[in-house]
Amino acid sequence: MTLHEANVLFSIGPLEVTKTVVSMWVLVLVLALLSFLATRKLKAVPGKLQNAAEMAVESLQGFFGGILGKENAKRYFPLLGTFFVFIVVSNYSSLLPGAGSVFAVPTTSLSVTAALAAISFVVVQEESIRHQGVGGYLKSLMQPMFLCVLMLPLNLIEQAVHPVSLALRLYGNLYGEELAAEQLGGLAAIGLPIVMHVLSLLFCLIQAMVFTLLVSIYLTEALGEED
Amino acid sequence: MTASAIIALAAAIAIALSTLGPGIGQGLAAAKAMEAIARQPEAAGTIRTNMIVALAMMEALTIYGLVIAFMLIGKM
Repeated sequence: MTLHEANVLFSIGPLEVTKTVVSMWVLVLVLALLSFLATRKLKAVPGKLQNAAEMAVESLQGFFGGILGKENAKRYFPLLGTFFVFIVVSNYSSLLPGAGSVFAVPTTSLSVTAALAAISFVVVQEESIRHQGVGGYLKSLMQPMFLCVLMLPLNLIEQAVHPVSLALRLYGNLYGEELAAEQLGGLAAIGLPIVMHVLSLLFCLIQAMVFTLLVSIYLTEALGEED
Repeated sequence: MTASAIIALAAAIAIALSTLGPGIGQGLAAAKAMEAIARQPEAAGTIRTNMIVALAMMEALTIYGLVIAFMLIGKM
């Protein structure tokens, strides 16, 4: 697509490095630097930065613990927490001046959200097989048992649709928001876009919440009924 | 009508129709959730989380329409 061609900055061999990729590198660098600074000298009485980091981790763990249970929330926290922090930061980067022109907001690209969804899909299937065994996994695809022939294709489709809907939801929301803000900016450059930006303050957080919430719900399903 | 006019109409209809159903559904779900919170304020946290999940599921349908509209506009 023309959009993609315009975004290519330079290429390493056959790999084209787009604006989105460079924006993600910058985001990752900023996040890594922040977490390095926050956890460099851990103290019993935390400083400002360490306090903020601890609060973020604790509230996120409580949030996931409500769905997954405490043990599982701790086990999957690296994945879910990373998803949440990355999505939140890249969503909020759409509020910075120059978003979409100077740098690209990663989550407004379908490739990025599809990659996130693909990761979650692989993890969910793998955890499902690990917890229930191959037989149990196949059996879980044929639930309710008395209709197993009918339910197998339905369950397979359901599993395949999960990552697609995850990716499309995040991409559609963010891209749609960006387009709407742009259109409002075209109508009246001063004032009107603020309306959209105030809304995005709320929606950016909710979208990140929804993505991680759904991944953790799929994980609870994958772990079986015992919990 | 030219081809691009038809595509423009199709994109508009895709997003317009796909907002209708989920709009009604989300309204119903949110109304019931508000009622539940008013009746039982101590369960507000759980109700809110479940409501957001349910709303996100419905929202997905609208987003499908939006994506189709984007795809159609890309073909113009």
